[in-house]
Amino acid sequence: MASSHDADTAGITRRKSLAAIAGAGALGLAGCTQSGNGGDGGDELSGPINIAGSSTVFPLMSAVMEDFAEQHPGVDPDISSTGSGGGFSNFFCTGDTDFNNASRPIQPEEETLCEENGVEYIELIAATDALTVVVNPDADWIDSLTTEELAQIWKSDPAQTWDEVRDEFPNEEIERFGAADTSGTYDYFIEAILEEEGHTSDYQATEQDNTIAQGVSGSEFAIGYFGFAYYFQNPDQLKALGIDDGDGPVKPSLETASSGEYTPLSRPLFTYPSISSLGEEHIAEFARYFVEQTTNEDLVAGDVGYVPATEETQEEQMQKLEDAIERAQG
Amino acid sequence: MATDNANADGFGEVSRVRGIVFEYLSLGASVFGLVALGVLLVYVAIDAFDLANASPEWLLTYFLTLVVPFLAFCLYSADDAAVTRRALGALGGGLVAVAALFTAIEALVVPIPRLNWQLAYLFVVAAPVTAYLAYVGSGGRVGAVGFGLLGRLVGGVAVGLAAGTLFLVFDPLLWFLAYTLGVLPAVGLYALGRLRSSPRAQTATVPVGLVGLVAAAFLREVVATYPSDLLIYLWTIAIPVAAAGALLVGDRRGRTAAVAVGGAPLVVATAGGFLASSAGLPAPTVLLVLVLTGVPTAVYVSRVVDAGEGLAGLGLPFLLAGGVIAGALVVQTFGFPTPEPWLDGSFLTAAPSRTPTDAGLYPAIVGSVIIIALVAVLSFALGVGTSVFLEEYTPGTGPLGTLTRILQVNVANLAAVPSVVYGLLGLGLFANLLGLGIGTAVTAALTLSLLILPITIISAQEAIRSVPDDLRRGSDAMGATRWQTTKNVVLPEAMPGILTGTILALGRAIGETAPLIMIGAATTVFRAPDSLFSRFSAMPMQIYTWAGFPQADFRYGVVAAGVITLLIILVGMNGTAILLRNRAERGS
Repeated sequence: MASSHDADTAGITRRKSLAAIAGAGALGLAGCTQSGNGGDGGDELSGPINIAGSSTVFPLMSAVMEDFAEQHPGVDPDISSTGSGGGFSNFFCTGDTDFNNASRPIQPEEETLCEENGVEYIELIAATDALTVVVNPDADWIDSLTTEELAQIWKSDPAQTWDEVRDEFPNEEIERFGAADTSGTYDYFIEAILEEEGHTSDYQATEQDNTIAQGVSGSEFAIGYFGFAYYFQNPDQLKALGIDDGDGPVKPSLETASSGEYTPLSRPLFTYPSISSLGEEHIAEFARYFVEQTTNEDLVAGDVGYVPATEETQEEQMQKLEDAIERAQG
Repeated sequence: MATDNANADGFGEVSRVRGIVFEYLSLGASVFGLVALGVLLVYVAIDAFDLANASPEWLLTYFLTLVVPFLAFCLYSADDAAVTRRALGALGGGLVAVAALFTAIEALVVPIPRLNWQLAYLFVVAAPVTAYLAYVGSGGRVGAVGFGLLGRLVGGVAVGLAAGTLFLVFDPLLWFLAYTLGVLPAVGLYALGRLRSSPRAQTATVPVGLVGLVAAAFLREVVATYPSDLLIYLWTIAIPVAAAGALLVGDRRGRTAAVAVGGAPLVVATAGGFLASSAGLPAPTVLLVLVLTGVPTAVYVSRVVDAGEGLAGLGLPFLLAGGVIAGALVVQTFGFPTPEPWLDGSFLTAAPSRTPTDAGLYPAIVGSVIIIALVAVLSFALGVGTSVFLEEYTPGTGPLGTLTRILQVNVANLAAVPSVVYGLLGLGLFANLLGLGIGTAVTAALTLSLLILPITIISAQEAIRSVPDDLRRGSDAMGATRWQTTKNVVLPEAMPGILTGTILALGRAIGETAPLIMIGAATTVFRAPDSLFSRFSAMPMQIYTWAGFPQADFRYGVVAAGVITLLIILVGMNGTAILLRNRAERGS
């Protein structure tokens, strides 16, 4: 009897202690719960921002995105480097992206496509680029070219040897490295230098600045052109030519491009936000932030290698943007 | 006499020149490819780890504290005087030979960029000798134990990280409900059925599980309060893994050992998880890594202690960790200049950036891992399904047989279609027509699965075809249905071959860029994808973009670090698949 009584009390104590432990555990766990609805909400900006377009604007836009993403943890931006035209026709004018970057203004057929799909947009100036013509650093026989000479090298029926371009140049074949025809750089080069003469097809075409740089540094008689950023970051690897537009040769640099001396190869870079996207608060805020940053010298010139916008341009752009945002949200 | 006359009798003399030339040509062909690949890897590794800036003192320190003890361990395990002599000879002779040859080439032929003779020695002599000794050493009992333990530690960390990554895109709350209501009752019933040998409980398993899953999906919207993520992972993964470990050991060694093997890692992991959450680290991942490393390690250690052989091998992880610590201490004390590797912790956990030193690959790593996991599941299911149907169910003759053959030819041709075309298909079909979204993870996974499907189908067909017909006939003769034959005979026999094909195909999928560009995958994202429908970037996309950046630090350092990361993940993935295959081979 006694033993069974003992067993009973032992059982009860064990049950009690188990219950006590469970109760303590439950109390402890109660502190570790979460709501099933997720999202802490609040007035914090959140949502995706999709951007595609020019590979020239890509470094600038992704640098701005990086800072914006750091400041707004809820915003989820992504960017694709598709080339100006590829971005317009495949993604922006079909309504799949919020911004399209371009290294040249939007073209008529792209405008039509956007119109057909009901995509409205505004044009914002992002920065200024100085298209840079480079030769091999060992080529000490050449220092500058006039725009006519440049056209002779790159027109659709081009000079074959250097002495055809200028008599004192060596009698050696010209090796050309340039932008592919999907690139805004190519379009701008035609517009600024070649006009109706057309671009030669006798050259190595690529979207990668590195390939052009490799090609040009491989031969003393090679010539190439690309955006300023690559030359800015690697000034010793290649030699930039001065361009003579009638007022003597001018070398490309941040100063000559922003003062307007470096003509005709300094060009504006653009981004096109879609108006319906600006209706979303986080995208409007990003667009404002972007326009603010276009005058940030450390970022635009220092980190990326383009010419920052002037205060005046910035104000104009901001006005344009605020109007569009008001239209979209109002 | 006869042999003397043989030639004269017109038995003929066969020239061996051609044979010898052929032998050396094939040797040259293989050496060319291997050496080219080796040079590439060496340079990528030098860039990624900044070894060009490693001082000789730094290299020597780690060579003495880390490599030499490891080699000694392998030699001890191999316990073979001939191997020891050979290894020491190669290490010593190699030192002289490489130094002399390297200096001679530099002086007489061309200067070799970004290399010095110490690094050349490291890659040309020390690395192969270490690999060889590791191979020989793993043959001994001590070495086998050491490498087994090391493998469980490394493998556990890898699996834990992969699981943590995958759970980023799945809703943990839904998983919690599905596990509690569906998986747990079903498994419980099945175990009960096995234990009590009650067929009724076993047949109820599937319906109970399904009902639970449906109920979970329904309740997800209704229930408002859930346990925290850490508790969910503790409840749904850590506790079951620990229980499985305990069961494995408990069978042989009784309750105390079982509690120790399952409980100790569980306690450590839980504590680690709570500490991590207060330190701001991703607590669920820490918990998963600790429990998936701890439990298999504990089971393994208990098994080794049971067997009582090669106990010294258990010291290998301590030997290596001690070597690293000792090396770091020496380097710090004497102030040797240390290299600053591009591939470091922040590279793996940070988002892309415009400054090379801040740039990271984290979002792209998560994107790639998620996509490749989906592709593995999809292409395996579709590939095995198609090949089983084509091999086992379609007739070989008649009009249907002709149709099958036409289908086969088409599948074979599809394997050669350029990947851009699959990208277009993905853009048109999945992104636009089915509305899965441009550049989303699920669109990418479906597109890449289609891309490698022909390869998986063809290799799975080959594997199924190579199962001897005798086995099928034998199974038929026992009265098995076609389904039973396929399930019990054909598939287990063919599984190693099927897995080999899938591994090769997955390796191709993880490196693809062209179809991803076509479906509009982002070049750069700043956050890891958090659902299957969020936009993502993959490692090859991000690496390609970096290669086009103007700063030299991106083109050399950051790109190299990205390439090494991609290779490590690829090797990890293939390693897992190869382990599975070897298991399948042993099983059959």
